[in-house]
Amino acid sequence: MNVSITINGTVYERDIEPRMLLVHFIREELGLTGTNIGCDTSQCGACTIHMDGRSLKSCTCLAVQADGREITTIEGLADGDNLHPMQEAFWDNHGLQCGYCTPGMIMASTAFLKDNPHPTEEEIRHALEGNFCRCTGYQNIVKSIKAASEKMGG
Amino acid sequence: MIGQSMTRIDALGKVTGETPYPGDINLEGQLWLKMRFSDRAHARITAIDTSQAEALPGVVAVFTAKDVPVNEYGLVIKDQPVICGPGSDMPGSDIVRTYMDCVAVVVAETDAIAAKAVKLIDVTYEDLPAVFDMEAAMEDDAPQLHADSPNNIICHYRIRKGDMEAGWSQADVVVEGVYETGYQEHAYLQPEAGLGYIDEEGRVTVIVGGQWVHEDQEQIYHALGLPPEQVRVIYPAIGGAFGGREDMSVQIVLALAAWKLQRPVKTIWSREESILHHHKRHPMRIYSKWGATKDGKIVAAEAKVIGDAGAYNYTSNKVLGNTNLMVTGPYEIDNVHVDTYGVYTNNIPCGAFRGFGGPQGAFAAEAQMNKLAEALGMDPVEVRMKNVLREGSLLTVGTPLPKGVTIPQVVEACAEESYWRRGDGAWHLNRPPQPDNPALRRGIGFACGFKNVGFSFGFPEQNWATIELHGGAEIEEVIVRQAGADVGQGAHTVFVQMTAEAVGVPVEKVRLLTHDTAKTQTSGSSSASRMTFMSGNAIRGAAQQALQLWQDEERPAIATYQYKPPKTTPYHPETGESEPNFAYGYVAEAVEVEVDIETGHIHVIKVVCANDVGVAINPQQITGQIEGAIVQAQGYAIMEHLISNEGKIQNPFLSTYLIPTVLDVPTEVKSVVLELADPRGPWGARGMAEMPFIPLAPAITAAVHDATGVWFDEIPMTPDRVVTKLREHGIGIL
Ligand code: FES
Ligand code: FES
Repeated sequence: MNVSITINGTVYERDIEPRMLLVHFIREELGLTGTNIGCDTSQCGACTIHMDGRSLKSCTCLAVQADGREITTIEGLADGDNLHPMQEAFWDNHGLQCGYCTPGMIMASTAFLKDNPHPTEEEIRHALEGNFCRCTGYQNIVKSIKAASEKMGG
Repeated sequence: MIGQSMTRIDALGKVTGETPYPGDINLEGQLWLKMRFSDRAHARITAIDTSQAEALPGVVAVFTAKDVPVNEYGLVIKDQPVICGPGSDMPGSDIVRTYMDCVAVVVAETDAIAAKAVKLIDVTYEDLPAVFDMEAAMEDDAPQLHADSPNNIICHYRIRKGDMEAGWSQADVVVEGVYETGYQEHAYLQPEAGLGYIDEEGRVTVIVGGQWVHEDQEQIYHALGLPPEQVRVIYPAIGGAFGGREDMSVQIVLALAAWKLQRPVKTIWSREESILHHHKRHPMRIYSKWGATKDGKIVAAEAKVIGDAGAYNYTSNKVLGNTNLMVTGPYEIDNVHVDTYGVYTNNIPCGAFRGFGGPQGAFAAEAQMNKLAEALGMDPVEVRMKNVLREGSLLTVGTPLPKGVTIPQVVEACAEESYWRRGDGAWHLNRPPQPDNPALRRGIGFACGFKNVGFSFGFPEQNWATIELHGGAEIEEVIVRQAGADVGQGAHTVFVQMTAEAVGVPVEKVRLLTHDTAKTQTSGSSSASRMTFMSGNAIRGAAQQALQLWQDEERPAIATYQYKPPKTTPYHPETGESEPNFAYGYVAEAVEVEVDIETGHIHVIKVVCANDVGVAINPQQITGQIEGAIVQAQGYAIMEHLISNEGKIQNPFLSTYLIPTVLDVPTEVKSVVLELADPRGPWGARGMAEMPFIPLAPAITAAVHDATGVWFDEIPMTPDRVVTKLREHGIGIL
């Protein structure tokens, strides 16, 4: 099947298997390996990306469903050499250890802040329910998002 | 640089997605590998037919037992075939002993073809009697898993100290319990993956995530029958480990396939494959009986520990060695009698997991201590202070601890920083008020613990570092070669900090070469809370020598140093007498929980953790370890229930094996970081990353008891178990 998907601002036209998951399209067809896979059951959120500005677990979506859509992955979040404030916040606040959950955490939280730029800690926690981290105990992740929201004018 | 929260040296690549993990690396012309695992818990493979798989278009090769040159592996004892089945000259390798045994390996042009082909392999099994209960496995008529381990006993450790009869006769109160701890799955977020290929120097090379590059190398060259220099192991970024990457998963088969085919071969495990095919934390059954005088002094302690090793040893004999020492807690007790067994069964193998036998020991020991406090009508902090190890105290194995025993300070700091106040020369608990909803009951619990830093009981412990000083009039660049694995904990950042400190240059001048057997010498494993302690001492030694050469005008000035800590000794087979360890970490935790007596849900509200880290080289990474360990331990105590039925894991998904999400974790974790220097540690640092795990489960059971009056001697305390037990006590019936 032919699809045309915009990823990080570039249009990619490919002939793909109808069963191909979006996460495999991103990782294998395009070689954008910042989007990770951590489970088989849509639990972990390591694969979170933005589709038309909303966060989405890219393992829950077929690549053909993304036809004509705009996708942003972790690689497309920074503005050239300028990191997104959320990326800076995770860096500054020790919001990562092994870092495998980090791209998904950053994508989920940046989309969330668009809807809710001034979240309480409680709201941040609810927004991250679908993103697992096995290393940090989440405290510094919540702190990072809080810091980013403040920096972004929250 | 010591004491500064330097940001991680790998943070940039991790927040931009640039950093590759093992599954992210590809090579031109790579093939894909898939493993076929056993369909039986215990059986002899009489035939294996791979012809259909081989005939599938796109399949390049199928490897079976006959293709493995030296068909055995294992970290401590090489008791597991790389591939089980007929045709290998390794005795016993035609038998599968667990569902996670590998029976064949397929290599194909794509992952999908390989996955299809493994299903076409026809394996003929002749079933053997199997045993799944650890105590049943010790019976005389139980099926035997390994010829050299009668009654399936891998290890039996004894501790015989003092005079038990005299001890019991002094006891005014005696408490007893039978404690059961469950499996725990590591659930590192990055499932196993790797890439094998032949490098530019003709070496078979494996890019993989592990905990010790040189150990992976050794396991590979042994199985492939190659000289060490023919094998190379490289780690990229590693997506968590927690002990779960200490043993082999994909390493040997990737090397085998790449070596035989002389082509790159890649594999990525699914989450299901990961949970089904790597080892777990040991389930243990612990029988414990302690006696104390009415003023709170423990006078006798007896325990019997049985640990389910599963079908192969992995590190079981070492894990059980730790439990043997820790099952009587960080207390000085004159009369002690302990028997500890590691037992083979046809269950999934068990091995290293954060705490390494310590959490199971502490679960029993601290529950015993809390029950003693209750029986004596004493405060749990007060009774601990009467018994804790102090400088010069003798361990149960008859020798003193290394200097710098700080458990008394740690217990007091935790009490003060949490819910206790000192008054009238004693400790008093101040309970927060109960919630208005009568279905919710709050309680406070306390527990403490100790854990060795570094490899124990006579293991030849060491760590190599090389420091190169480059420049002319002044040092322009420092290269440090240190192999130690950064599994996510931040070891590499700490290596750079310690090198900058030891040489006296800013961190910007330091470049780290690591994670590659071709560029470094062995560091030992990133486990046993040892990496900062061991590598720091090696880096200091190398820096000192390099600086001397620099002064003598050598350019570049290069020095290599091997740090060896003071020797330890194994348990005496009859009495257990030994010098078990060269360093320890000490920890105490207080927790506040809320129990919903209707649903059985336990909510951990707050944890206060006092951990003596000696010196906090990177304080932010220290608190990161504390917070992460607490959440993992909370999962262990309450949520994480891996179900095995006749050796088969029933819930190998993150949808059915539940780990804590952000909504499950305590809203407040207060880290009380003590810096009471270890005289042997680099700049005084102690190991710390396992310690906060150790006392949490028993602190939670104590808090649940405080809330409900019921003791839970079995973990995990899942809601259904809690409800059942509370109802037995007439609690929560509405
Ligand atoms: S990989 Fe998509 S949710 Fe886990
Ligand atoms: S940092 Fe390792 S999973 Fe989150």
